Amino acid sequence: MDDLTEMLKGTLEGCVLEIIGSEETYGYAITRRLNELGFAGVIEGTVYTILLRLEKNGLVQVTKRPSGLGPPRKFYALNDAGRAELATFWAKWEYLSSRIDKLKEGGR
Amino acid sequence: MNFWETITGSDLTREWKTFEARAAALPADHRAAWEEIKVHLLSYGDFTGRNLMPILDGALGLLEETASEGQSVHEVLGDDIGGFCAALAGGEGARNYRDRWREQLNRNVARKLGRPGG
Repeated sequence: MDDLTEMLKGTLEGCVLEIIGSEETYGYAITRRLNELGFAGVIEGTVYTILLRLEKNGLVQVTKRPSGLGPPRKFYALNDAGRAELATFWAKWEYLSSRIDKLKEGGR
Repeated sequence: MNFWETITGSDLTREWKTFEARAAALPADHRAAWEEIKVHLLSYGDFTGRNLMPILDGALGLLEETASEGQSVHEVLGDDIGGFCAALAGGEGARNYRDRWREQLNRNVARKLGRPGG
């Protein structure tokens, strides 16, 4: 699906949190995962800026590990604050999607 | 950073040199993106540009990582390098000159309003 970018903007951070929450991972793998999910327009630069923000807000724990080739890779895992943030994200998402579904069904 | 470095910025010069050495090792299109990133990020610099150093280091790191994975620059940064740089600088808390002008304007207006007729 094209042109999802604008709609996705507010939720991408939550998506990245969810991906990191399921296992410790790194930028490229997160981008790949989002692309596989069908978010083809998501590029690594976008994910990178989100990861910086998560790091700055103290939601992730960062570990540098040597990679097979090239520079060491930064791996991200959620800390307690990150897990709390993720729970908040899903609560907000539930709320938002239930309201929008309601609107679509014409209810009040 | 010691006193001498604070005054002369000699550590910045040194850091720039290591950045450029790292950038020289990148493939051509990544190197071109690096040049463009520098141009965009400079407008977010403070007087010495010291605030940009960690941001540039991170951006260069991203280019290095993605180059070693064989990704093209377009796959990594898309068409909007300016937007990427803005997000980057925003995430790291660097403010650009426009933010500073706004702040100055707000301050001046508040001062004028605080002292009517002044």
